[in-house]
Amino acid sequence: MSLFKLFLIFVKIGAILLGGGYVILPIMTNEFVEKRNLVTHDDMIDYFALSQSLPGIIAANISMFIGYKLRGKWGAITAMIGVTFVPFWCIVLLASVLGSLVNNSYVQGALWGVGVAVIALIILTVKEMWQKSNKNWYFYTIFVLTLGTLLVFKLSPIQTILLFTLLGVGYKRFAEVRK
Amino acid sequence: MIYLQLALEFFNIGLFSFGGGYATIPFLYHISEVYKWYSLDELTQMVAVASITPGPVGINVATYAGLKSAGILGSLIATTSEMLPSLILVIIVSKLLKKFSDNFYVKSIIETLKPISCALLTAVAIGLLKPSLGDIKAMILLVILLVISWKSKKDPLFYILISALIGVIVRTLI
Repeated sequence: MSLFKLFLIFVKIGAILLGGGYVILPIMTNEFVEKRNLVTHDDMIDYFALSQSLPGIIAANISMFIGYKLRGKWGAITAMIGVTFVPFWCIVLLASVLGSLVNNSYVQGALWGVGVAVIALIILTVKEMWQKSNKNWYFYTIFVLTLGTLLVFKLSPIQTILLFTLLGVGYKRFAEVRK
Repeated sequence: MIYLQLALEFFNIGLFSFGGGYATIPFLYHISEVYKWYSLDELTQMVAVASITPGPVGINVATYAGLKSAGILGSLIATTSEMLPSLILVIIVSKLLKKFSDNFYVKSIIETLKPISCALLTAVAIGLLKPSLGDIKAMILLVILLVISWKSKKDPLFYILISALIGVIVRTLI
């Protein structure tokens, strides 16, 4: 597969990827497993699982795994540029239109509603993260400690992550050694 | 200078955010507080627009935040910087694959990052909720949305479009 072909496939995927993470796996499977037989179904499941355990944006991670599998480093870079191509220009375009409409009373009403929807979506994401996690006392302890600290002190997300990851992993190492 | 700051901030988001697009919101919230490149109201608008346009939400919102902060070059830098850590990690992990997920430290880090990401996002939810608490209509809409989601899981698109519509009706007619 040529890099240009790979680019075009990811441009298409980026353009039809709409509405959250639920659609990524079926779209990718359809494109690369069923239609073109370039990736096995097992590989796809692996990429999906790995993408969720890596930091960063899940859809971008999967795209880069597939790109890398097909054409190495340049394949990964091509996938990255391809999958963001259409979304990038959509945002730029929409932002400029929205910027000039922001004083319109209908748009302001819509933005008010949307602000509430975003809060709801964030709450739902927390709920989903909560449900998907393996909730043992370790999870609860780290959660409570982190949230408590955030409510009292003004820490940046990175400070928070570094502090509690060090604490948590240090503790796990200690427990492992004692065993 | 702003380009360098953008590159650094968004590289950090790509490296430290964990759990999908909405997990980047705590970082964007922090950026808005520290640099004032955009307001919190603008942040909610950005998240909403990012959710209803095609493409991964986390990438879209980075593009938008970059645009608000430093124009089109800013959005290019933010988007690329956010994906750069993933690119490096994907290349490394592709070579190691199985060994990677069995490693003690990798497993412990992932297991620790889950509750931390959850707490970070909870803190943002609280931060965004506080100023709206006095707005009775907003609270009613929020409860309605949560009840709908509890009955059946819907796409983010659905919540944003229905709320925009309700917003237009509430704000212009009532």
